[in-house]
Amino acid sequence: MSGSIEVRGLSRTFHTTVRRPGFTGALRSLVQPERVAKDAVSDITFDVAPGELLALLGPNGAGKSTTIKMLTGILTPTSGEARVAGVVPYLERERNARNIGAVFGQRTQLWWDLPVRESFSILRDIYEIPKPEHDVRLREFDDILQLSTFWDTRVRHLSLGQRVRCDLAAALLHDPPVVFLDEPTIGMDVVVKEQVREFLRHQVEERGRTVLLTTHDMTEVERLAERVVLVNHGRLVLDGTLDEIKKRFGSTWQVRATLADPHAEVEALPGIELLRREGPQVVFGPDDGPDAPTVHQALKRVIERYEVTDIALDEADLEDVMRAAYIQAEAPTAHEGG
Amino acid sequence: MNAVRIAWRITRLNFRAQLEYRSEFLMMIAIGAVWQVSVIVFATVLLTRFTGMGGWDSSEVLLIPATRMLAHGIFVLFLGRMHGIGKIIQEGMIDTYLVRPMPVYRQVQLSVFPTNAIGDLTVAVGLMIGALSRSDLDWTAGRITYLVLCVLGGMLLEAALFTAVACASLRFPAADYWGRWLEELLGTFGSYPLNVLPRAVSGLLTFGLPLAFVAYFPAAVLTGHGDDTGVPYWLAAASPLLGLVAFVGARWLWRWSLGHYTGVNG
Repeated sequence: MSGSIEVRGLSRTFHTTVRRPGFTGALRSLVQPERVAKDAVSDITFDVAPGELLALLGPNGAGKSTTIKMLTGILTPTSGEARVAGVVPYLERERNARNIGAVFGQRTQLWWDLPVRESFSILRDIYEIPKPEHDVRLREFDDILQLSTFWDTRVRHLSLGQRVRCDLAAALLHDPPVVFLDEPTIGMDVVVKEQVREFLRHQVEERGRTVLLTTHDMTEVERLAERVVLVNHGRLVLDGTLDEIKKRFGSTWQVRATLADPHAEVEALPGIELLRREGPQVVFGPDDGPDAPTVHQALKRVIERYEVTDIALDEADLEDVMRAAYIQAEAPTAHEGG
Repeated sequence: MNAVRIAWRITRLNFRAQLEYRSEFLMMIAIGAVWQVSVIVFATVLLTRFTGMGGWDSSEVLLIPATRMLAHGIFVLFLGRMHGIGKIIQEGMIDTYLVRPMPVYRQVQLSVFPTNAIGDLTVAVGLMIGALSRSDLDWTAGRITYLVLCVLGGMLLEAALFTAVACASLRFPAADYWGRWLEELLGTFGSYPLNVLPRAVSGLLTFGLPLAFVAYFPAAVLTGHGDDTGVPYWLAAASPLLGLVAFVGARWLWRWSLGHYTGVNG
């Protein structure tokens, strides 16, 4: 079964009532409510190929969770179309549910009062998984996620990290080709996060699952995602690789050099522009051209061209890049909305 | 068949989980029984102080709360999770149910074992035994079958009413309070022959909120008062069928409401 995700012009509008300020305003709203339409997701189009891990990123309220809810069959879109593993999720909810696994980091899909292993066996019955297959898969998950140390505990007594690891296993027990993960590592410690990342890598690389992940953790994105889709105010802002994002949204590195001759004439180098100069100290960054060098190439070019007494490198991390992307993406939408 | 097996397995596990919290388990059973104290008091007063009510003798009247209670107890056991669904909605569990290949309605019912139903049913069975033992009626196979159908119809009608409230709760979580009001109303007016009430009120409890079809009309038909209910005999006699129709309609409304579900954060 092909585990692709196809999203075409997907939109979801919510209708809400505007709250007028003050007591009189509240009374007026009661008598004469003012209804407004809010586009939580607006005309989004993207694809995820089978076996690909895509990070769906954006600030809070950008429309990530609403998109995932439409793709999992929880919400029906206002317009547009989506297919997950060949199924339209909101038209054939139960058929779609057999093809997908979903983890919502903030809530569990396990039975709160039952030991985890009992939840797993209920899921085995629901998804009609043959017992030998179920046992093999559970052993495989246990090897990476170390579930057996706590799987006889009731879900309500698990720590967050233990609970999410169990949720991950539960979401994949029926071997779905497509997996949706909505902030799966939120609130986890670094050790468990790494364990979860290894598990996800294994699922994509070894098992060929298609994964759509939302997260605010940029380390996670850097370690896992091959491609990123950035949404803001419900609109798709960018669809590309991490390198493309880094190039588009701000310098990804800066070279700070102290010149031996403080009065030396300084000019741009191929692919490198002069960002600022304060006496003997000069700061270079990549220019907007297509041939911007890597930080190591830039370092070499600066040293070859100028006589320097000191040199330092600043590499912007992905968090800085995403911050810049969010801020730049905000501008045109704010203008449209205003 | 697989669906029944899964439902049974989940129920068994949920029951076992409740058993492990001994005090909570016993308390819930007691709550289920104590909750029906008004019905027990009503039945006791009826049998010890009055000879009858609204042209019915007391043993005939007793059949009304007995039928209603038994229908209610079975409703709580099988379909009662529709009542108080607001909490499930607020916690976002509907989202989780929607990504499993199982009807959401069934998952809501299987979300927890209703321990309080044991208390409800204990009182209800006791009341029904009392009502049948005091009854002068000839309990033929036909009458017993009709009584069974009436209890099931009453259960379905109660389930239909709470499902309708649950549908509203899917969109407006505050609608859950209407469920409490509904339960209060069923408890208050469900045990009397409604002909003792002013015509406007009994009309409202027949055509506005069809409470009369849960136990009053069935009991009237069984005890020979079917022509004095204010509605045509055939309508009163069709109470079990009405329960079924109402439940099918409520399930359709539930499916429609889920299709228009906007989520807890939406």
